[in-house]
Amino acid sequence: MPENLPGPMISIRGVSKWYGTFEVLADCSTAVAKGEVVVVCGPSGSGKSTLIKCVNGLEPFQKGEIVVDGISVGGEKTDLPKLRARVGMVFQHFELFPHMTVMENLTLAQVKVLGRSKDEAVDKGTKLLERVGLAAHRDKFPAQLSGGQQQRVAIARALSMDPVAMLFDEPTSALDPEMINEVLDVMVQLAKDGMTMMVVTHEMGFARKVAHRVIFMDKGQIVEDLPKEDFFGKPRSERAQLFLSKILHH
Amino acid sequence: MGGFDWEVIETSLPYLFKVGMVFTVTLTVLSMAGGIFFGTVLAMMRLSRFRTLAALAGGYVNLMRSIPLVLVIFWFFFLVPYIGAWILHEDRPHPLGPFYSALITFTMFEAAYYCEIMRAGIQSIPRGQVWSGYALGLDYWQTMGHIVLPQAFRNMLPVLLTQTIILFQDTSLVYVISATDFLGAASKVANRDYRLVEMYSFVAVVYFVISFGLSTLVRRLQARIAVVR
Repeated sequence: MPENLPGPMISIRGVSKWYGTFEVLADCSTAVAKGEVVVVCGPSGSGKSTLIKCVNGLEPFQKGEIVVDGISVGGEKTDLPKLRARVGMVFQHFELFPHMTVMENLTLAQVKVLGRSKDEAVDKGTKLLERVGLAAHRDKFPAQLSGGQQQRVAIARALSMDPVAMLFDEPTSALDPEMINEVLDVMVQLAKDGMTMMVVTHEMGFARKVAHRVIFMDKGQIVEDLPKEDFFGKPRSERAQLFLSKILHH
Repeated sequence: MGGFDWEVIETSLPYLFKVGMVFTVTLTVLSMAGGIFFGTVLAMMRLSRFRTLAALAGGYVNLMRSIPLVLVIFWFFFLVPYIGAWILHEDRPHPLGPFYSALITFTMFEAAYYCEIMRAGIQSIPRGQVWSGYALGLDYWQTMGHIVLPQAFRNMLPVLLTQTIILFQDTSLVYVISATDFLGAASKVANRDYRLVEMYSFVAVVYFVISFGLSTLVRRLQARIAVVR
């Protein structure tokens, strides 16, 4: 964990969630400090995507508490749109708005949510598109871009809101292999710039390179929550060992 | 009886189109606009997580779709004046005239059908689109207005237009309240001059040409506007 940090940016305490009688999240607790990069991994169906969607209130949870930047996500009086505007999220399937151009995708929420002027929003959008190397594509529609390009636009769109933290939900798992790196490069840069990040991914190379901590989930539980060095080095639970051996030596 | 009398058609053309067709087209276009608006509201209610709203909209749609249109036209024609009087605190029924009565009827009736189309359209939008709208801090109305409805509307445009073509034909039922739509106008000429074969044949041809022409356009449009995902 980076040094000299104040209280956690994201704190998850005893969160449980059920679909009917099926428990998808079982008493999950962890925290992400400001500037920290936490990778969440685990087999499919382990609840990792559900957990990260709970962080900005896209998925409701029945028990426990999640506090983001001092605001309780599940609180009855919480202004969820306002909270979400401060937390960027990137999805597995990009979820760019197909009926809008790249630039419109980047400016919509800036104007409607943050109340920026059109010009300010376009300026910001232009800078971010340059940052992800897509300035030339500003007037294209998402369908005209490759998957990797779309995901980079999605990252730029999330950054356009000046978020205090970024959530990534399997950002590379819908991509063709040759496009994974262009997205990871953007994420690595973001991590190096000090962004607080919670990343659901199986990209262990990314975890080794920039993560501070790795969380391993299975069957709705947080089984491991270790500093990166310990996760990849020291002995750990059998389930995590099995999982790592599967995804590292295939 | 004599042969097919082309002249009666020719001489009544201005009346048929300037009075009858104008009524029909105005009624169709306004009912479509109103129907799509209320239909969209109903669709959002039906998909709402508030059970009462969903049940209300569902009940309304099922009611409208289970009653013959002619009956609804009658019903509104005779009932609306009483409702009007009740709202305006007048002693006597407040007649609206055939046009406004028909407009209200068709808007309310078609809203039920447009509702089901818009509901399918809204449901066709992947959940992730809503999530990404919310994740950016947009609220329900902004997400609906900027992300879900524009896409739903575009996806459903061919079906909405096809429903409108049906509406265009159905407006001819206003003859039961003696409104002078296209069919009503032709019917008046037919009865006055006793030229039923000529007038009703001509009316059929005009309805066919317009409806078939529009259907063809809709099919072309369908091929062009499909949103590439």
